[in-house]
Amino acid sequence: MENRDRVTHHTNHYQGRRSKSLDQRKYQDGADVCIVGAGAAGCVLAYELAKAGLKVVVIEAGPFWNPQTDFASDELATRRLAWEATRIVDGANPLRLGHNNSGRGVGGGTVHFTGVFLRFHESDFRTRSVDGVGEDWPIAYEDLAPYYDKIEREIAVSGPKHYPWGPFKGPYPYPVREPISANAQLFREACEKLGIESVVAPLAILSAPFDGRPPCINRGFCNQGCMPNAKYSGLIQHIPKAIEHGAEVLSDCMVTQVLTDGSRVTGVLFDHDGATYEQKARVVILAGFVIETPRLLLHSSTPHFPDGLANSSGWVGKAIMPHSSHDVYGLLPEEVRLYKGTPVLALTQHFYETDKRRGFARGYTLHAHGARPVGMASEIATQRADGQFLWGRQLREAMLDYNYYARITLVGEVLPNPDNCVTLADEKDEYGMPLAKVTFQYGENDRRLIEHAVVQMTQLVEAMGGKAAHVVADTAHLMGGCRMGSDPVQSVVDSYGRCHDIPNLYIAGASIFVTSGGANPTNTVMALAARTAEHLIQEMSRQNI
Amino acid sequence: MSRRSHYPTYNVWDQHEHWDPHTRQIVAQRRTPVISHSFLTRQEAMLVQTLAGVLTDEYRQEVLTFVTQHIDQSLNSPVGESQRKAGVPEKKVLYRLGLSGINEASHRLYRRDFIGLKQPEQEELLRRVEKGTVPETSAWQQVAPQDFFQKLLYDVVNAYYSHPLVWSDIGYGGPAYPRGYVRVEKGLVDPWEAKKDGE
Repeated sequence: MENRDRVTHHTNHYQGRRSKSLDQRKYQDGADVCIVGAGAAGCVLAYELAKAGLKVVVIEAGPFWNPQTDFASDELATRRLAWEATRIVDGANPLRLGHNNSGRGVGGGTVHFTGVFLRFHESDFRTRSVDGVGEDWPIAYEDLAPYYDKIEREIAVSGPKHYPWGPFKGPYPYPVREPISANAQLFREACEKLGIESVVAPLAILSAPFDGRPPCINRGFCNQGCMPNAKYSGLIQHIPKAIEHGAEVLSDCMVTQVLTDGSRVTGVLFDHDGATYEQKARVVILAGFVIETPRLLLHSSTPHFPDGLANSSGWVGKAIMPHSSHDVYGLLPEEVRLYKGTPVLALTQHFYETDKRRGFARGYTLHAHGARPVGMASEIATQRADGQFLWGRQLREAMLDYNYYARITLVGEVLPNPDNCVTLADEKDEYGMPLAKVTFQYGENDRRLIEHAVVQMTQLVEAMGGKAAHVVADTAHLMGGCRMGSDPVQSVVDSYGRCHDIPNLYIAGASIFVTSGGANPTNTVMALAARTAEHLIQEMSRQNI
Repeated sequence: MSRRSHYPTYNVWDQHEHWDPHTRQIVAQRRTPVISHSFLTRQEAMLVQTLAGVLTDEYRQEVLTFVTQHIDQSLNSPVGESQRKAGVPEKKVLYRLGLSGINEASHRLYRRDFIGLKQPEQEELLRRVEKGTVPETSAWQQVAPQDFFQKLLYDVVNAYYSHPLVWSDIGYGGPAYPRGYVRVEKGLVDPWEAKKDGE
C-alpha cells in the first residue's frame, strides 16, 4: 500500500517507485538528466525537469531523512544533517565547515538552514562596475527577478508588506511572522533608537497553513531540522513532488566520477554500500555545493581534460567565498532566552550598499539571531575574535547567564579572491578520492567590513541596555568555486550553469556565484536553479543538447 | 557573571513526557552513560574525564562520564571531522599524543600523573597547554599543544552543554516538540519554563 501521509510518504519512496536493488533502477538504461546532489538547487531542478516530462535521476550521498524519526530537538544529535566528511582547511583564516555551512542527505542544507529568504540587490550583480571591486555577473537583477517571484510564491515565503531595501519592495506571498521573539523585539527597538530601519525577516517558514503543512510553532530548532514541517526544505516539498512526476532519487549513493566520451559527458559512477554503479544520462548537472563539485571535477580528469573537467580556464575551485559572520553576545539586565522562537525573526539591511565614508566597499546584513546552549558555549569557548579561549570557572559562570544574552549576527560580503580555493589533498577518503583542501583568508576590505559591523552590533547591544560580553569570529555559507561568466577564459560556466568546455555538463547552486552578496544565499540559489531548469527544458525539447 | 544558577529548583527532565520519542530517547541515554570505552584505554578515559572536569569547572561524575563517553564514541566513529587544519594529525592521533603529552608534562613539572595533581596545578598545566608554553616533551614535539587544546575544549564543551543537568543549571527550556513555545515575547514565559529563583 502506498503511504499517502503528507509528512512521511516520501520516505516510502522505495515502495513501487524505487526498487531496493540498485540493479533494478528506474532509468538504468539512461536518464535524460542526472542531478548530483539533492540540496537547494538540485531539488528545484529535479521538480521542474520531472514536471516537464524528462526522465530525472537524483543521486544524493546522504540518507533520505524522515523528519519524525531522524530529526530531534537536540544540537549534538543533529550534527549529522551536515557534511561531516573530513576536509583539510588551510590559509590564514581556516574555515569551519560541517554544520556551519553544508548539508548531507536529501534536502541538503535546506534541512538545517535558518530559512532567512532574501534577494540579492541590483548592485550585487555589478560590483566591478559600481564599486571597482569583485567582478560583474553575466546577468543583472532583472534577469533573476521573475525567478525570485516564482520561488517565493512556490514555497509561500512569509515577510513584511513593505521591504525597505533593494529593488523588491514587497509584499511577500504570506503574512509576516507574528509574534516575534524577545531577542528580535530588542533588536528592533535598539535599531529604532539608533535611527536604523529594521524589519521582521522574510522567511521560508510558514506563517499560515500551506500545501498541507502547518504554520511555525516557534520551537526554535530550525538548524536541527524542522519536525513540524513548517519550514521549507527540498526534502519535504520539491523532492516528493518530483517523485510524483516520475523522478528517481538514489540516496546513500556517492558519486565518485563524471564519465566522458571525448568532449561530452555520458553519465556518472557512484558508490552504494561498497559497490560501484554507473548512471548514464544525456545531461549531467552537478549540484554538490562549493567544495564537492570542484572536488569531483578535479578528480574526474581524463587525457582529454588533464586539469579536471570543465577547467580549461583554470577557474574550477577558485574564488570561493564564505560570508563573514561575526556574532556579538550582549549581556542584558533582564532575561532574553535566546532558545525561543525561530532563530532569525528580525534584520536590517541598512548597511547593505557601499558607503565610501566607511572605508570599505560593499556591505552587510545584521540579524537578531537566537542561540542554543551547545552553539553558544562552543563559540564563546573556542572561536573568540580576540583569539583567547574561555574555560573553567569563567566559561561556567558566563553560561550561567545564558538566558540574559541577546545576540546579533553579521552576514557580510566577502570579496572574491582566486587564492581562496578548493584543491585536492594527498590524503584519500574511503572511496579512494582525494580529500578536498580548502584554503581561505580574508582580504583587507573584508576585515574592514567586519570591524565596522562589530562596532554597529556593539552599539545596538548597548542601545538594548546591555554590554557586549562576547565577540565571536565566524563565517556562514559558501559561494563560488565554479563561477559563471561570459568569457570562457575567466569563468567555468555561463549564466545558465552550462560548462563552457562541455555542452551537456551543467553546474547548479552557490558554486556558480560570482560574488557573495551580503545576504543569505538560498533564495538566489533556488532562483538560479529555476532559471537553469527553464533553459534546459527549452534546449532539450529542441534537441539542442 | 553569575556564581550560581538563577534557576536552582528547575529540572528540564521533568518535561520529558512532552518531548517527541526520538529526542526523549537521545536525552535519556545521556542521563545513564555506560562506563565502557571502545577507543580510549582505561587510563586515557580517566584522564579525559579529569580534563573535562577542569575545563568545565564541574565535579558531577554523571555529567563527566557522559562527556567522556561522547568523546570516546567520536574517536571510534567512521564519520569525519568536518575539517582538520593542514598539518594537524587526524583526531585519533591528536588525542593519543595530546593525552600522552598532558601526563609527560605533568611528570616533568610535578612528578605525578595529571589526575593526581591538585586542581590549581591542573589548571596551571592546562593554561600552559592553552598558551603553548608546556614543557616540550616527546608528544608535544609531534603535535602542537594548542591544536590539541582547541579540539579537546570544543569536544568537551559540545558534550557538556548537551547534558540535561547542565540545561537545568542555565535555565534552558530544551526540547519543545510537539508543543512549541507560545509565549516568546519579552518578559513572557510558558508555564513549564524555568523561573528565576524558583518564583
